[in-house]
Amino acid sequence: MSRIVVGLSGGVDSAVSASLLLEQGYDVEAIFMKNWEDDSEYCTVEQDYKDALQVCDILKIPLRSVNFAKEYWDKVFQHFLEEYKLGRTPNPDILCNSEIKFKEFLQYSIELGAKKIATGHYVRTKNINGETQLLKGLDPNKDQSYFLHTLNQNQLSQSLFPIGTLDKSEVRIHAEKKGFTNFNKKDSVGICFIGERNFKDFLKKYIPAKPGFIIDELSNVIGQHDGLMYHTIGQRKGLRIGGGNGQSTDAWYVLDKDIENNQLIVGQGIKNTGLYKKNLNASNIHWINDRKPEVDQLSAKIRYRASDSLCTITALSKTKITIHFEKPQFAIAKGQSVVFYNNEVCLGGAIITSSF
Amino acid sequence: MYYFDHSATTPINPLVLELMTEVQKNTYGNPSSVHSAGRKAKIIIEKARQEIANAINAEPFQIYFTSGGTESNNHVLWSLVSIKNAHIITNVIEHPAILKVLEYLEPHGLKNTLINVDKNGLVNLKDLESQITKETRLVSIMFANNEIGTIQPLRKINKIIKGKNILFHTDAVQCLGKIKVDVKELDVDFLSLSAHKFHGPKGIGILYVKNKKDISSLIIGGSQEGGLRGGTENVASIAGAGLAAKLSVKNLKENSKKLKDLKTFFIKELISFFPKIIINGDLIDSLPGLVNISFPGFRSDILLAKLDRVNIAVSSGTACGAGDVKPSPVLSAIGLDIKLNLSSLRFSFGSTNTMAEVKILLKELKIILNI
Repeated sequence: MSRIVVGLSGGVDSAVSASLLLEQGYDVEAIFMKNWEDDSEYCTVEQDYKDALQVCDILKIPLRSVNFAKEYWDKVFQHFLEEYKLGRTPNPDILCNSEIKFKEFLQYSIELGAKKIATGHYVRTKNINGETQLLKGLDPNKDQSYFLHTLNQNQLSQSLFPIGTLDKSEVRIHAEKKGFTNFNKKDSVGICFIGERNFKDFLKKYIPAKPGFIIDELSNVIGQHDGLMYHTIGQRKGLRIGGGNGQSTDAWYVLDKDIENNQLIVGQGIKNTGLYKKNLNASNIHWINDRKPEVDQLSAKIRYRASDSLCTITALSKTKITIHFEKPQFAIAKGQSVVFYNNEVCLGGAIITSSF
Repeated sequence: MYYFDHSATTPINPLVLELMTEVQKNTYGNPSSVHSAGRKAKIIIEKARQEIANAINAEPFQIYFTSGGTESNNHVLWSLVSIKNAHIITNVIEHPAILKVLEYLEPHGLKNTLINVDKNGLVNLKDLESQITKETRLVSIMFANNEIGTIQPLRKINKIIKGKNILFHTDAVQCLGKIKVDVKELDVDFLSLSAHKFHGPKGIGILYVKNKKDISSLIIGGSQEGGLRGGTENVASIAGAGLAAKLSVKNLKENSKKLKDLKTFFIKELISFFPKIIINGDLIDSLPGLVNISFPGFRSDILLAKLDRVNIAVSSGTACGAGDVKPSPVLSAIGLDIKLNLSSLRFSFGSTNTMAEVKILLKELKIILNI
């Protein structure tokens, strides 16, 4: 049977993916990817590697390692920093998928003689008329198609996602049955290279912070911020604006960033109209099937944890589009991706440049 | 398994294993105890100490057992921390068990100078001489490099530092059983060894100390090992180390020749079907049995994986915690660019390897290199 190389992270999802492929009769090998060099106490790479090793020992498959730290630094991390410098909220995990996991790692695995690669993402693929569609994972709480929307036909046709039809709980049960010690390992959250550490401290190491004023919608100065890069649209916590500064006791939210004047614009209350926009402009458009799809029902989500919402697209130019939502969307952040769906089919996406 | 990674570690000699099992089973006494069980253990240790001393032409009281080569190196370097303004000279291709320790000790007041090596990995003697100051207390230069096998001109170095009140340490971990290790001939003050590199057990090392007054204790709390290293001795492993040392120098000449023949045959055959290879390190002053080769156009981690698939073990670069291959600082130091660096493999043959095994290695390489 053909050889499949599984990207093993040390987590339960990829471990179960490898196990399922073995059950399906594939010749499975595992590769542990190291994409970040870090000796700090926050870096879990050694523990992750040990977990991966234990899984491979149980499955009796070889584990190899590959270091893509340089590629990650050049192609993902530099971009991440550039975006933050511009006051945007980038999503490095999306870039990591298109530039590292489904490019460097895919090429590497093919060079190693693999027919296809597999990962522990909660998505599915479906072959229709010679085209590979990307489908949402069946666990609605875990679906990761948002992070994989920049993949192309070539990448998808060479990838397997064995756990896309499972619920997370089923994955954990499978892992426990197999005796994987990582069966109850905590899900990783947030940006992989930052881990559990303080985001502000991390960013400060790479980008000089420029403190400035916090203003309300009427341009009254009501506080100070340590740097616009530490804030994102819709953020409520950590603004340090005392009560009584506003007209009500409602919580303050970040409405916008005025990059030019280095000011953070805030407003009160979760219902503040400044937090909700129905339209956005986006660039860097990518369609999974290489063209804008003709679908009856188009929806989109503006961040991973948002739900998809009905919309229409008008083209501004070849590289820019405007998206009109039927209903207002909460906290549309520049730099995040807007990802399009037709029900369960992920169609592609673009990067948000502005909202109105 | 076709094992060509003897510089990483060696399989244990069956006689050594037999002795260790016997000691582990029957000698449970604490060597510090005065009763017969204790005395029995003590005698085993002292016998091993004598065997090590014989193997390197030292006196038994100059032999100290440690947990390995890394500890032996640490012991020598840490010993200098109490000396005010002490300065150490070493070179850029030392093992991390020297370089990382010095990096760590720098803020504690121990200054160091790293001298460069030439394209074959040989230390620049002029540089070394010019870097000596009146505060230089130690020169530490490895006997042979673990990645490229280059043997350093220790006796020439010794001539340079003679009479300057400078101690001389050498990390000889790669050498015992492959080339002659004679502490009197080398005229060193300290020498580090590790038993698992010469078919002994892991977790046991040796530090040769010419004069005990030149070194201070590393592990405090017991009077074992002359007070230099406290803690109840690892009796079985010490016994194993002693026997392994004895056996490895017993047939040094034949063994050395065998390793050299395997290496020469391997290189010659490899060049005949893949002439593009680049041999890293010195061709003459080189450990028998170790060769580091760059395969231009190939990634070493891919080559490693493909060899592993057919049950062949070799190594590449510097192994780290997560098993990934990173550029080797040693290969960078001898001038390899990053691409060539990441296309290099180390083949290290051992006394148990046969010509037939090397032929299998060549056959598989031919397939993998697509020739």
